[in-house]
Amino acid sequence: MSQTVLETLAVALLSFFTVGYFVLGGADLGLGMVLPYLGRGPYERRLVLDAVVPFFLGNEVWLIAAAGVFTGCFPAYEGELFQGQFMVLVPLLTGWMVRDTGLWWRRNGGSAGRHILADGLVTGGSWTVALSWGWLLAGLAGGTPEQLTGGPLVVLAVPAVAALFAAHGLAFGAVRLTGKPWERARRMTGCGGHGGRVGCSRPTLALTAVAMAALPLVAGARLPLAESAVTGPVLGLLVPALLVMTPLLVAAQVWMWRALSGRSAAPRFM
Amino acid sequence: MCVDPETLDLARWQFALTAGGHFLFVALTLGLAGVVACIQTCAVVSGASVHQRMVRFWGQLYVVNYAVGIVTGIVMEFQFGMAWSGLGHYAGGLFGASLAMETVVAFFIESTFLGMWIFGWNRFNKWVHLGLLWVVTLTAYMSAYWILITNGFLNNPVGYRSSSSGSSGSSHGSGIELADTLAVLTNPSALLAFFHILGGALLTAAVFMAGVSAYHLFRRSPEHELFRKSLRTGVFTSVPALFLTAAVGGVQLGSLSGIQPMKAAVFAGKESTIARLQAELAAQFGPGDYVPSTALTRGGAVVMLAVFALLLYVCLPGAVLACFRKAVYRFRAWHVLLMVMVPLPYVAMTAGWVFREAGRQPWVVQGLLKTEDAVSQLSAGEMRTSLAVFGTLFTLLVTVNWWLLLRTAARGPDDPALGRDERDSATDGATGGDADGGPGGGPDDGARRPVWSL
Repeated sequence: MSQTVLETLAVALLSFFTVGYFVLGGADLGLGMVLPYLGRGPYERRLVLDAVVPFFLGNEVWLIAAAGVFTGCFPAYEGELFQGQFMVLVPLLTGWMVRDTGLWWRRNGGSAGRHILADGLVTGGSWTVALSWGWLLAGLAGGTPEQLTGGPLVVLAVPAVAALFAAHGLAFGAVRLTGKPWERARRMTGCGGHGGRVGCSRPTLALTAVAMAALPLVAGARLPLAESAVTGPVLGLLVPALLVMTPLLVAAQVWMWRALSGRSAAPRFM
Repeated sequence: MCVDPETLDLARWQFALTAGGHFLFVALTLGLAGVVACIQTCAVVSGASVHQRMVRFWGQLYVVNYAVGIVTGIVMEFQFGMAWSGLGHYAGGLFGASLAMETVVAFFIESTFLGMWIFGWNRFNKWVHLGLLWVVTLTAYMSAYWILITNGFLNNPVGYRSSSSGSSGSSHGSGIELADTLAVLTNPSALLAFFHILGGALLTAAVFMAGVSAYHLFRRSPEHELFRKSLRTGVFTSVPALFLTAAVGGVQLGSLSGIQPMKAAVFAGKESTIARLQAELAAQFGPGDYVPSTALTRGGAVVMLAVFALLLYVCLPGAVLACFRKAVYRFRAWHVLLMVMVPLPYVAMTAGWVFREAGRQPWVVQGLLKTEDAVSQLSAGEMRTSLAVFGTLFTLLVTVNWWLLLRTAARGPDDPALGRDERDSATDGATGGDADGGPGGGPDDGARRPVWSL
């Protein structure tokens, strides 16, 4: 394969894993953000988190893979970008770790006080991640990703991106949840209430998913990726290996979703 | 290019603390994965209740430990680009590829299957459920292999050639690129470290199992059969694990003078060799200090070897004692000794890493790139913020999760969260008004799947 083809494929792989993270990981982060609204009281919050818990490991791994592809195929640019966005990545990673810790602690039982603390960690962590993404994406879209971005673009992007994460989480909740949290999620997505139309939840989720998928693609469209790809000897091995693996990864994920999804009126995983 | 020396120090501290903190969990995870997979294989084949309860008890500890390993690993992956961007610039053409393979080929599958193993406990056929854990175990080892390919290259760069354009077309300055894939993938510095760590991880898990079981036998737990079997598994595993670790470690030490003569000289304390190497390196690479810290290099190695000796004196007689049922149940002084030993493999492994990594200084890529040239162009203030945030977070995580791990271990095998069938307990916990599913929400389809109740 020629270097140009390999570069294009490398960009496609990076985009694929990033989009996978925004659609899948964005749903559980969004649901974490609206947890206090959907779940009033410990039992309802447990119901809401139960919809996230079997999948979050499989969801967040898309970003880990995306970062791996970024390091492997565009190492020099990855360094420049991560160094430039250092002060945005610190809260992003912190929020991510705090959210995950909250989910694990919530599952490990304990007192009512520990549950409230864990729920707080999930919500606080999810918000921190979503707001940081807003700042990071504004930096990528603003044209100077090698340095920290400020100004009106950030002021606009941060709340808008966070709102999209939350909307995606609500739409996911309207499909996955049951009971009172489900009714609240439906009401917020405009599918509930007395005038609510049947069969509106899934199209809404499809809509937010498309918006989430578009987010990193639009923000990252101007990044000089292809021209900063690694040289032929590595790319010629790495890209085919990644291409062979990708269908297997997708199959594993499809299996996970088929095996563990399905709605229930009571918590099943925690 | 000159970076604030304080930024360099802070970045090194951050890497040392996060890598060290991460590895505390990796060590037990890697070892326990294989052991739990073997126990579950026994459980599926024999169908014995004691084996099934062992899977849930040790599996629960494995999961608690694994969770922190994953959370701390997130920082590790991003840290290379954030704090050490010079590494990507110079060696990215080689160095990044193995990290990419680790995430896509190994960790992606590992994480997805781990989720299915934990949360699909009563939803899969028992053979499928067992297969899930074996996939998690094998991909975990594969993950370790790819990480050590990266680390092995830093210690013993092979299979590269210099490229005038650096690792990427548009990059500035010179760099290296891949010349011989096979040499990189069979780098002795990576393969030996892989087997050394495999042995060390198994030893960590074996000593942990023996110690926790000894605690319950010491307290005369009613679950004596489960803990007798577990104590024996731990003690009998510790001996071959110890010998594998020591044998590969010996080979590594032997090959050191060829790969990293300065590290070997500092370890051996040969002042004349150190002075000669320092003069040679200064002549080759320009003036500078090419001698790594003696305290860290030698200290790390000595602590590692001393702990190995201690473990040997306890594990060898232990393997004999464990053959006698009476000793397993009644020898209380031995129980205490086994409990006290639990931290030792962690000490040895951390010390070993300090020896390996500190002994390579001032190089980040041995003989090719200095650590000070790899650090990112960040202000000391930025680095201080990130060290404070990640340092605090890691300290909290490590502390709270060790407390959680020990508490879970002390509580014993009475209905751990792992493998509990929530569908049984949850139905009576449901309060009114929760039964109305949505239009798409059919009945719980999990109930129709084969159930393997432990």
